[in-house]
Amino acid sequence: MNLAVDSPWLLSGLVLVLLPLFNSGMRLTPNPWLTMIPTDSMSTLLSLLLRLMAMAAIAGLVLGMAGLHRTEQSIERIGQGAHIVILLDRSNSMDNSFAGKAPSGKEESKADSARRLLSEFVSQRKSDLIGVAEFSTAPLFVMPLTENKQAVLSAIAATSTPALAYTHVSKGLGMALSFFQQQAVTGSRIVLLVSDGAAAVDADSEQKLREWFKQQQVRLYWIFLRTTNSPGIFDKPLDSRDDNAQAMPELYLHKFLSSLGSPYKAYEAESPNALRDAIADINRLENLPMYYLERVPRLDLTDRCYQLALLLMTLLLGVKYFEVNVKND
Amino acid sequence: MLVLFVRPTQQQKYPVYNLTFIIDITRSMNATDYQLNSQAVSRLQFVKDALRKIITNLPCQSKVGLGLFTERRSTLLFEPIEVCSSYAEIDTTLSKIDWRMAWAADSNIAKGLLSTLEMLKKGESRIVFITDGQEAPPVNPNYRADFSGLKDKVKGLIIGVGGLQAVPIPKFDSNGAPTGFYSEDDVPHRSTFGQSNLDPSQIEGYNARNAPFGSQAITGTEHLTALHETYLEQLAIESGLGYARLTDSQNLKIALQNPELAILRPVQVDIRWHSALLALLMLCIIYSPDPKLLLQFYMRRIKKQHS
Repeated sequence: MNLAVDSPWLLSGLVLVLLPLFNSGMRLTPNPWLTMIPTDSMSTLLSLLLRLMAMAAIAGLVLGMAGLHRTEQSIERIGQGAHIVILLDRSNSMDNSFAGKAPSGKEESKADSARRLLSEFVSQRKSDLIGVAEFSTAPLFVMPLTENKQAVLSAIAATSTPALAYTHVSKGLGMALSFFQQQAVTGSRIVLLVSDGAAAVDADSEQKLREWFKQQQVRLYWIFLRTTNSPGIFDKPLDSRDDNAQAMPELYLHKFLSSLGSPYKAYEAESPNALRDAIADINRLENLPMYYLERVPRLDLTDRCYQLALLLMTLLLGVKYFEVNVKND
Repeated sequence: MLVLFVRPTQQQKYPVYNLTFIIDITRSMNATDYQLNSQAVSRLQFVKDALRKIITNLPCQSKVGLGLFTERRSTLLFEPIEVCSSYAEIDTTLSKIDWRMAWAADSNIAKGLLSTLEMLKKGESRIVFITDGQEAPPVNPNYRADFSGLKDKVKGLIIGVGGLQAVPIPKFDSNGAPTGFYSEDDVPHRSTFGQSNLDPSQIEGYNARNAPFGSQAITGTEHLTALHETYLEQLAIESGLGYARLTDSQNLKIALQNPELAILRPVQVDIRWHSALLALLMLCIIYSPDPKLLLQFYMRRIKKQHS
């Protein structure tokens, strides 16, 4: 339990708590000779109690004004979920429709469908940590792994701005894997790659990616948004001369990712509906138990302080009415 | 006293901010002409540091979005999100911004600003465009961006970054290791796009089709970079934005406190402290030591000392 205040300087007002020690707050009745009054333990007790009440009331008011609260805390829980990094393709072609044309009328671009369905997906995943990375020619770090769904949604919404340049998928994967570097291994770790194309992976990055995938124990899902009449990831080359990474980058990226040795699944989506099915499938698969930290928001204690002060002050006010008014003639 | 506690909050107009920071990540932002803790740091590093400080100071319910500029346009990393609940996320993303995120290596600030304003004009967010004004290649004055359609439609600020003294631009290899500085031969000193803005009779070796800019090798100082302040001020006037130079995070904070950027929004403000203070005062009066008794007390002590 961590208590804190908003304006610590107001705590100096706590000095006022000492006031009731000097003054009982009661009307004093002059008496000719004090020794004539017998000592009454009940009265002493009552007087002490009244003073304590007054002190507590002052303390309550001061603490309330200073803004006493319990700080934000995290509680460790076990739930179902995963650490998911969404890796989005921001290449120019994502702004085209599944038919490979600029979207017209009611048509949705691939980026639009991905944005809409991924937003739904993020909203459904209550206990996950989700991060966002993007890539075109260069990888972009967008949002760290976080349980703050609002932040993730606003990052996904920001992809409605025009797409950037080319598809440099190996750098994007490297960026996505780097998200897990300082994260404890708990639950499943997922990279969800959403792209509409691929690029040849050079030998240098190929080796690094193999290493990183092994180290980080990441599962990879690739949702390939296939444009009509473009080569797919499961296509076999018709001509042996086309059987290379430059001519069929999608097939070769798929081969490379399958050979990583870490769990990997590819989906080929040719329409928004297929994309939705792929996301639903992942949603179902990824429900392993994991530890996660639930954030408990800060608890405002000023209400309690004021209520206590109010109660005590009412009591003291009541006591005041019982005071005997002795007229001095 | 009791009555005062019944109404705990009051509607008050409070300034909150909705800012989208667009940060220039072109190469010239790597020039090191700022100091941070008596260490030379790059412009980009200094901007990141200043913004991270600024964000801790924004009032809750303010929103911050983040975008990057390079080439001729900018991209938005995330739309404005509330600062207090998402502080950690914004801070981490800011710290990760790197010049290597640039998807292309040109730098045409006027066009970049134009496309950014175009992109964000629908939102209610104010734009803070942070750049050093260094363009690569320098823009041909015949092909200037036209802001007339957008003037005063979007509110915001251009923040000029960098020193007025020209400094060299560091060069890096593909792994990010520094490999010296750009030299005079590395950069174009003039745009050779489109029609020449010069008088043909003045150009040496002019040929309308093959050499509209002449045949002379052009040398210049484009490999060095300084804050192009007059250029940015002119852009600010054309686009109806404000202008300020970044010297430290304090001066950025003051520039952002411009009332044009703030949005007055009714916020529930806790005013219970008014009544609490009143109650406290009353209690203090009741329990304050009786001056007459105090006086008596002191008199007695003085008498004791004398006797």
